Amino acid sequence: MTAVVDLGVAGALLLAIAAYSTAGGTDYGAGIWDLLAGRFGHAVEVRKLIDHAMAPVWEANNVWLVFSAVICWTGFPLLYESAFLSLYPLFALALLGLILRGAFFAFRKVATTSGTTLVASRVFGISSLLAPFSFAAALGAIASGKVGVGGPMVPVWQACLDPLAIAFGVVALMATAFSGASFLVGDARRYQARGEKSPDLVEYFRRRAVAAAIALLVVSLIALVVIAAESPTVFRGMVAGLGLPFAAAAVLAVFTVAVLMWRRVYRWYRVLTVVGVGSFVFAWGVGQAPYLLPGQLTIQQAAGAPEIEALLLGITVVALVLVIPSLFLLYTLDQRSALES
Amino acid sequence: MATTLLGLLATSPPDALLPSRIQMAFTLAYHIILVPLGVTFPLLVVLMEGIGLRRNDPVALRLARRWSVVMAVQFAVGAVTGTILSFEFGILWPRMMGRFGDVFGIGFGIEGWAFFLEAIFIGIYLYGWKRLPPKVHYRLGWVLPPAGVLGAFGVIIANSWMNTPGGFQLGPDGRPINVNVLGAIFTPALGYEFWHLIVALYMTAGFMVASVYAVGWLRGRRDRYHRLGFTVPFALGAVLAPIQVVIGDIATRGVFQDQPAKFAAMEVTWNTQTHNPEVVGGLLQSDGTVALGLSIPSLDSLLAGFSPSTLVRGLNSFNPADRPSVVDANFVHLAFDLMVGLGSIACVLTLWFALAWIRHRDLPRSRWFWRGAALAGIGSYLAIEAGWITTEVGRQPWIVHNLMRVSDAVNPVNPLYIWIMFSALLVVYAVIAFFFVTLLMRLSARWRIEDGGGRQEDAIAPEEAAPYGPRPA
Repeated sequence: MTAVVDLGVAGALLLAIAAYSTAGGTDYGAGIWDLLAGRFGHAVEVRKLIDHAMAPVWEANNVWLVFSAVICWTGFPLLYESAFLSLYPLFALALLGLILRGAFFAFRKVATTSGTTLVASRVFGISSLLAPFSFAAALGAIASGKVGVGGPMVPVWQACLDPLAIAFGVVALMATAFSGASFLVGDARRYQARGEKSPDLVEYFRRRAVAAAIALLVVSLIALVVIAAESPTVFRGMVAGLGLPFAAAAVLAVFTVAVLMWRRVYRWYRVLTVVGVGSFVFAWGVGQAPYLLPGQLTIQQAAGAPEIEALLLGITVVALVLVIPSLFLLYTLDQRSALES
Repeated sequence: MATTLLGLLATSPPDALLPSRIQMAFTLAYHIILVPLGVTFPLLVVLMEGIGLRRNDPVALRLARRWSVVMAVQFAVGAVTGTILSFEFGILWPRMMGRFGDVFGIGFGIEGWAFFLEAIFIGIYLYGWKRLPPKVHYRLGWVLPPAGVLGAFGVIIANSWMNTPGGFQLGPDGRPINVNVLGAIFTPALGYEFWHLIVALYMTAGFMVASVYAVGWLRGRRDRYHRLGFTVPFALGAVLAPIQVVIGDIATRGVFQDQPAKFAAMEVTWNTQTHNPEVVGGLLQSDGTVALGLSIPSLDSLLAGFSPSTLVRGLNSFNPADRPSVVDANFVHLAFDLMVGLGSIACVLTLWFALAWIRHRDLPRSRWFWRGAALAGIGSYLAIEAGWITTEVGRQPWIVHNLMRVSDAVNPVNPLYIWIMFSALLVVYAVIAFFFVTLLMRLSARWRIEDGGGRQEDAIAPEEAAPYGPRPA
C-alpha cells in the first residue's frame, strides 16, 4: 500500500515537472524567439505578438514550478536535500533567470524609449535561456548519478558541469524553442484572422518550428548517446524499459509536428507539441524509476512519513478536480478575447 | 548600534550561517510586503463591486475595476518572490528540508494549490470585466477571498509548526515517524498565529488602500470617488483594530505558555521572577540589566497570568546555547514594542473615526486625522514586519523549536557563494521594486487624467493597462 502511494506521489511530481516543462517551456521558448528576433526586419511585430501571446497566462504557468518544489520536499525530503546540496549553483542561476525574466517582461511594457525597450528585451531573452537550461541541467546532473545522498559525492562544480547536465540543458533549450514556435504559429494565426495588417508571422514561426523540431531531434539523439555513456541504467530504462513508449512517443510527436508544419497543415500541432515535450520528461523520469538518484536512492527510500505521502496524494487529487475546470475557464476566456475583438 | 553590528559579526561562526540568515531575512521581509494585499485585497475589490452592482453606482464599479488591476500586478510580483522562497528553502536550509521536509511540507501542500486557484481566478476576474455578465463575474469573484485566506492558513501551518513542532515522534535517525497529520497541522501556536496574522493582513489592506485616498483628500480631492475609496477600506481596518488588540493579547499569553525563551526576549526578562515589570523600549545589556527604557512594575506578570505573582521565566534560566542571544533579544524586544505601539495608534484613529461618525454622521474634519490616516498604511506594513521579526528572531537559535538549530540546517558551503547570490538578489529586487512603483504611479496618473475628462479617446479598460492583464482590444 505505502509503495503504491509513494509511486503515486512520484507520479504527481513527474506530472508537475512535465506540466512546467510544457506550459512554462512554451513561455521560455517565446522568450528565446524574442531574443533571436534581433532589431531589424520584423522584430517589432514579432515582439508584439510575443507580448500578446504571453501576457495572460504567465503566472499560472509559473505555479507548476512551485508545485514541483513543494511535492518534492514534502514527498521526498531526502531527494530535495541531496539535490540542493550538490546542485545549488544551478538552482540559484535558474532563480536568477526566472526573476529577471518576470521583471523585465513587465518592464518592457511600460518602457517608453526604444533604447530601454531593447535593453529590457535583451535581459528578458537572455534570462529565458538561463532558467530552462539551469533547471534541466539539474535534472541531467541527477540522471548522471553524480548527486550523492545527503551531501555531494563529487565537487559541486563537477556535478553541475557534468556532460549529461549540459546535454539535458541543451535539449531543454531546443524543446522550449520548439514548443514556443509551435504555439506562436497558433497565436499568429489568430491575430491574422482578426485582419490585423502585419507581415506573415505564421510563415515566420512555421519555418522556425520546423527548424527547432529538427534541432530538438538531433540534440536529443546526442543526449541519448551521452546517457548511454554516463548512466547505463537510465539508458536501459529509456530504450528497453518502461521509458521506451514515452521516448518513442516524444520522437514521433515532434516529428509529426515538423511534418505538419512543413506541409502547412494547421491541425493537432499544439496538442502534439505538448505530448512531445511532456513525453521527453516522462521518458527520463520513468526510465530512471524506481530510482530518484540513479543507483543510490529509490522512490521508497526517499519517501517521507507514509501518513504524509497519503495526505499529499489526497490533496493533489482534490486540488486537480478544482483546478482543472478553472484553468479551462481561464483559457476559454483568453481565446474568446481574441475572437471577440 | 555600530557596536551591536560589530558584535553580530564578531560572534558569528566562520561559515555560511550569517549570509544565509541575512538573505532569508531580506527575501522574506520583501515578500511580506506583497502578502497583505495579495491575500486580502480581493475581499475589498469584491465588496466594492457588490456595492456598485447593488446601488447601480458607476463610481464604485470604476474603483473595483481599477483596484483589481493593482491586485493583479502585485499578485504577479508576489508570485515571483514566493517562488524564490520555495527554492531558497533548499539552497539555504537543505538539512532542515531533508530531515523535516515532509511534516513541514503539509501546509505548503495546501498553500500551493490555494495559490494556484487564486492565480487562475484573478485571471478570470480580470478577463471577466469585459467578457462575462456582471452577476456571473461578481459571483466568480467570491472564490478569491477564501482562496487567499486558505493560502495564508497553509503558510501559518508551516510556521506555527516550526515554533511549536508536534504531531510526530522522532525515529532513530532523527526523522519524524508515526505522524499524526491533524496533530502536525493544529499545533499549539496555529490558532493564535493564524488569527493574529489574518486580522493583521485585513487591517493592512484596509489601511493601505484607504491611505491612498487620504493623501488625495489632503490634497483637496474630496469627490465621491475619494470618499468611497477611503471609507470602505478604512472602515474594515477600523473594525479590526480593537479586535486585534484582544487577539494580540491572547497570542502573547500563548507565547508565554509555549515558547518561554521567546517571551523572555520579547519582554527582555533576564532573571526568573514574580512581579515582573513590563519594559517599554530599552536595550538589554550582556550583564542582564536593561539600559534606558520605561519599566512599569508588575505589569508583565499581570498581563501574562492575570496576577502580579505570576512567575515569568528569564533568559538567564536557559542554557546560553539554547536561547536568543542578547543581540537577538534586543531585536525581538524592540520589534515587539514597535508592533504594539503601532497597533495602539491604529486604535486611536479608529476611535476618532467612530466618534466623528456618531456625532455628525460624517468623516472626521481635522487634518490631523487625515494625516494619521495617510500614514496608517505604511504603519500597518511596519507592524507586520515587526511582528514577523518578533516571532522569527525570537525562535533563535532554533529553526525547529528545541529540535533543530539554524546552524545545523544551513547549507555548508563557502559563505562567499551566499554573499554573491545575495548581492545579485539585492540588485534584482531593487529593480523589481523600481518597476513596480513606476507602474503603479503610471496607472494612477493615467486614471487621474481620465477622471479629469481629458483624452477620453485614449482611455482603455483599466485591466488592459497592466503588463499581466488581458490584451487590449
